[in-house]
Amino acid sequence: MSKGEFFVGWSAETHRADRRFLLGAGLGLIAGGGVLGASLAINRPPIGDGIWDQGTPHTLRGILSRAPYPILRTRGLDGDVRTVFLASSGKTAPEIDGRYFDHGADVSGTLITRGRNAMLAVADVQAAPSGFDTADLAAPAAVDRGPVMLVGEVLDAKCWFGAMRPGYGKAHKACAALCARGGLPLAFCQIGACGDGLDAPLLLNENGLAFGRAVLPLVADPVMLQGRLAAVGDVLQVRASFNSIRRL
Amino acid sequence: MAHGYKIIQWTPFKKSYDAALLLGVLVFISAYLVGALAFAPQGERALPIQVALRALGACAFSLLTLILLIGPLARLSPRFLPLLYNRRHLGVTCFLLALIHGALVLLWYHGFSDLNPFVSLLASNPSYDSIQGFPFESLGVIALLILFVMAATSHDFWNNVLGPNMWKALHMLVYWAYALIVAHVMLGAVQGEKSPLHAIVVGASAALIALLHVVAGWRETRRDTKLADAKNDGWLRVGPPNDIPNSRAHIVTPPEGERIAVFRDGARIYAISNVCRHQGGPLGEGRIIDGCVTCPWHGFQYRPQDGKAPAPFTERIAVYRTRIEDGVVFVHSDPAPSGEEVAPSVIAGAQQ
Repeated sequence: MSKGEFFVGWSAETHRADRRFLLGAGLGLIAGGGVLGASLAINRPPIGDGIWDQGTPHTLRGILSRAPYPILRTRGLDGDVRTVFLASSGKTAPEIDGRYFDHGADVSGTLITRGRNAMLAVADVQAAPSGFDTADLAAPAAVDRGPVMLVGEVLDAKCWFGAMRPGYGKAHKACAALCARGGLPLAFCQIGACGDGLDAPLLLNENGLAFGRAVLPLVADPVMLQGRLAAVGDVLQVRASFNSIRRL
Repeated sequence: MAHGYKIIQWTPFKKSYDAALLLGVLVFISAYLVGALAFAPQGERALPIQVALRALGACAFSLLTLILLIGPLARLSPRFLPLLYNRRHLGVTCFLLALIHGALVLLWYHGFSDLNPFVSLLASNPSYDSIQGFPFESLGVIALLILFVMAATSHDFWNNVLGPNMWKALHMLVYWAYALIVAHVMLGAVQGEKSPLHAIVVGASAALIALLHVVAGWRETRRDTKLADAKNDGWLRVGPPNDIPNSRAHIVTPPEGERIAVFRDGARIYAISNVCRHQGGPLGEGRIIDGCVTCPWHGFQYRPQDGKAPAPFTERIAVYRTRIEDGVVFVHSDPAPSGEEVAPSVIAGAQQ
């Protein structure tokens, strides 16, 4: 920098050498920022193909059950008997009048799906027309699939199904805790399969019931659990005592 | 120099600086959005709001890294001084990006439940005893509060109200904010990544900042260890007068106290404190413009004969007596009484 090129910020003139340097530095920083931003965005872990289609309302007819989480057993999706989990449009369980449970009902809302997993964000519930045959929609008895030891993450099913994208991991921990606190179903994704996996068993205690808030401190942390796998119709469950879940 | 405390004293340079800043932010965020949304595998596109809050956080972190790099770079080369001049614009922009990032996080991850989002933010995760489960959000909240205080007091009005020392101390909190943000990212977003790129970028950014500060500090320390030759009567040897470039200074370090900048203005030799009253800038690395010593950092000016800023400004710095003896300039290590005008030494035989 020559004597005549002393930079004075408040001056109306900027010397040519400063202008040249600033132009080069500015363009370099802008281009570097663009490359850095794109690189950080592209190098992200997989998210999975879950989706919440909020533009297409559905009305599913089936039988409502309360435990361990509110579900609808229905033939309304593809003709097969399927279990559709139920949620509100937020991070809470749906508010459904008790008289509808264990009876045929028409449940309206928008679908959140990942693979064959489905959840309905409930907007409205009406009693099904009289004469609706619910004979084959009752939840079957649980079939024990034996002991299992899993390493992975406790997450809320709604976000993992597609309400959030991505809906797992540390950044999502507070959201998962709110969903769990609000009574939404918990699931368990195995390490390495939280992003691109299509199945995560429902997480229940050893008696097949929801954990409640006791499990909140463990949500979204890497944990190992020992329990038993069980199948209830088309829903896979992992049942484990709270004490068998250990933070890694 | 600003006196009437306008929000911004626009100059063509400042407009270009802010335009480049705005363009840089837009390019970074656009590239992030395009990278995340356009290059995602079919059916695996993240939600735009989740991409946006990530992009804003990454942009704020990158901008804060740049802000902290400019200081030592400007100490190592005057080439970078133009970047320093409007650094506070970068700081305010960084705070705004971080604020929007925080607002989106609050809305998206902590909203839509029956719990107050602020309660959820601060109390939903009490795992302070766990590295993997650590509530990294709280670190981001503290950093955001620091950035807010800095952005709110960034104007020279607050420098004047708080005083330069208090203002400087307050704004040194930026290092705590950066450390908190590094921990916020490392204990949060980075833990969910499969690629090491994010950890490498954050770690390398922090390491580069530390390295440049150490190098710049080492150079300053080395300069301070070269104490000026002092006579018993307090006079310090500066050197031959013509070794001082015209309108420039030699900086001498007395055994005690602040450095002294000895300026040559034609045939006249003046000595003033090396420390600018505005933000502690090195006046000895400035030059004399229109008869005033001009600070290289923000252009604050002082008359070399009495250390007063030209009217209507009121800042004042210490001035020192000089003398020329046997072709050598000496400066006395004790400042002249405050407000007293000190006559310059005149180089014999030189044209003034």
